[in-house]
Amino acid sequence: MRGPAISRRKLLAGVGGALLGASAVVALLRTSGYDVPDEIAGALTSLEPWEYVLLQHAARRICAPDRPGDRSIPTADDTNVAGFADSYIRTMSADLRSDLKKLIALVEHLAPLPLGYRARFTKLDAVAQDRVLASLESNDVALLRGGFAGLKSLIFMGYYRDPRTWRMLGYDGPRVGRPVLGW
Amino acid sequence: MLAGAVIRGGTLREDVHLDVDAVVVGTGAGGSIALRELARAGLRVVGLEEGGFHTSADFNQREEQMLPMLFQDGGGRASTDLAIRILQGRGLGGSTIHNTNLCKPIPDEVLQIWARRHGVVGASPAEMRPYFEQIERELSVSEIPQNMQNANNSALRVGVESLGWKGAPMKHNRIGCQASGFCELGCTYDAKQNALKVVLPQAAEAGARIYSNVEAQRITFANGEITGVRALARGDAGQGVANLKIRARVVVLSASATGSAALAISSGIVDPHEQLGAGLRIHPGAVAAGIFDRDMKSYDGIPQSYECTELLSFEEGSDRRCWIIPAFAHPIGTASMLPGFGAAHMSAMRTYSNLGVLTAMVHDETQGRVSAAHDGRPKISYSMIESDRQQLAKGLVACARLLFAAGAREVTIPAIPPIRLKNKADLDSLDLSQIRPHSVPLTAVHPMGGMRMGEDPKTSAVKSTGEHHHVRGLFACVGGLFPTSIGGPPQIGIYSTALRISKHVIERARR
Ligand SMILES: Cc1cc2nc3c(=O)[nH]c(=O)nc-3n(C[C@H](O)[C@H](O)[C@H](O)COP(=O)(O)OP(=O)(O)OC[C@H]3O[C@@H](n4cnc5c(N)ncnc54)[C@H](O)[C@@H]3O)c2cc1C
Ligand code: SF4
Repeated sequence: MRGPAISRRKLLAGVGGALLGASAVVALLRTSGYDVPDEIAGALTSLEPWEYVLLQHAARRICAPDRPGDRSIPTADDTNVAGFADSYIRTMSADLRSDLKKLIALVEHLAPLPLGYRARFTKLDAVAQDRVLASLESNDVALLRGGFAGLKSLIFMGYYRDPRTWRMLGYDGPRVGRPVLGW
Repeated sequence: MLAGAVIRGGTLREDVHLDVDAVVVGTGAGGSIALRELARAGLRVVGLEEGGFHTSADFNQREEQMLPMLFQDGGGRASTDLAIRILQGRGLGGSTIHNTNLCKPIPDEVLQIWARRHGVVGASPAEMRPYFEQIERELSVSEIPQNMQNANNSALRVGVESLGWKGAPMKHNRIGCQASGFCELGCTYDAKQNALKVVLPQAAEAGARIYSNVEAQRITFANGEITGVRALARGDAGQGVANLKIRARVVVLSASATGSAALAISSGIVDPHEQLGAGLRIHPGAVAAGIFDRDMKSYDGIPQSYECTELLSFEEGSDRRCWIIPAFAHPIGTASMLPGFGAAHMSAMRTYSNLGVLTAMVHDETQGRVSAAHDGRPKISYSMIESDRQQLAKGLVACARLLFAAGAREVTIPAIPPIRLKNKADLDSLDLSQIRPHSVPLTAVHPMGGMRMGEDPKTSAVKSTGEHHHVRGLFACVGGLFPTSIGGPPQIGIYSTALRISKHVIERARR
């Protein structure tokens, strides 16, 4: 039981690694056609403008509201998820940063292909983007599933850090500055 | 007192050359005790800590700010196959800054297995008892009173009682706790009686000098003897600002189970039997979340105060190897753990305040391995063996049973696809093969092993005294010493083992 499981995992990890590497190469070649205002592009500390755009698109889908049209729900853009991700990535180790960037490239350039989409992720409509993200979350390649979980965590960190999201959760937020208990 | 003894790496303007008796790398549970004991013995000792020096005033209860400040890799450290998130601390006080303060000595049965199977000498239950007692006294360990049990912990107690299972209130090392629930982000109220609050100030008072924001990068040795440490001081943005070259006759590795092994490996420490990094255990765990009709606010109050030990026994070959405790996270942690994304995920997040969450941690037999990445950071390989996977599945089913028994209307096991259980009967038809790494998100917070102790150099990295089998003067004083998993909270075992090992370190340093 144990032997085959390990070798399969190794194999999958190898496939995942190769895919991530390949997408990083594709990304190097295809970085035009992304529309980022100069003031935002100039302020980025870790992300390339096209990576920022990808994160914006992914965040809009990952944090899509359950009650469309309800204006009390902040959007991923309201909470500046991609901008937060840019500054957070700076705190990561070089290895993690590089893996994340490869994953970003994969989501943008390679992940749409197996589903029959020839356009990059940021050019797809919302339904197609959701399908691409769902395919990553349940991907047979374990490394890609793990990578997606990391991307999702980063995006939710950017979203749920914002106090405007806490009311719908019933979360009172930090206690700092509020009266303490007297046990 | 502590502030006066700490030199922040970022303030160094030029390279530093030191000549001391001993260097302790890492200032968590193990390192703080080693520093204090060596300083109290009158030795010239220096501590190196790669993380920062933070105090209660810095702990602002914001996940997105505390995670990068207090955790390795901003909380994003994972096994190489990305199946398991491995949370480890960083900063003066190590993982004791953000841990949840549960206290239990190492079980007698585990210590007996260490002696019998792993040739550990000097650490029998009778020999360890005085160390456990001293540490528990020093850290003011006491039972958590039932009136401090929050709704999530009460739910576990009610579940245990109504099923007639084994469970009990737990002990902790807190004084003046405000039950804020923010333990995993550092204590704003200074209630934790941990390495930062209790032990490091004592070390400073005894004369230890401590460098924060200084990463040990290489242990140096010649002719089978330790000669010192090379380290790099970093500024606020992580940039190198100065080199430290420290000559010492003794180096104590207390850089966590993973960091200690990785540093020894990347330093080229002689290792003919490939024992450095071997035998890593982590207590991998997963959660089950129950939706209650009542407001639970599980994020409020002491996060963990009650345990279920129905599935836990420590005998060799036991098939009950699961420890069940409550596990609740703040919004970011919860959002990351819940399956899916988009509208369905947001709907699930709306139940946040009604959730009760339990975790099953496996007293694992899987042996992972630590290696060193090209930059010397730990790389953690861990492929869960089938018997541990079965334990995990059993544990999660038990968590679901407990949640239903406590009144949950529905239970979800976050998996891909999610496992949604409407009632107890659903548990009987559950396909347990779905519960496996990569399907269920796994988290580990207790790395152990990697610097295992024992008398046989073929099966251990260091002797029972903590000294390396092949390099004199190189010691480990860290959770990495444990030859097996211990099936419960490790900090008391680590502080106490460090107290025992420190005697041998002092002996060596004086020779
Ligand atoms: C979320 C969480 C909750 C926990 N809850 C509990 C609990 O309730 N009860 C319990 O008993 N245990 C708990 N633990 C585990 C416990 O805190 C650890 O097992 C224990 O602190 C480990 O002690 P250590 O000395 O081995 O390492 P650590 O305490 O992790 O200290 C290692 C230190 O070494 C530093 N370091 C690493 N590499 C280097 C280097 N190259 N140079 C300089 N410094 C370096 C690190 O920055 C770190 O500060 C918890 C852990 C986590 C993550
Ligand atoms: S629950 Fe107690 S120990 Fe934990 S952070 Fe709050 S006050 Fe501190």
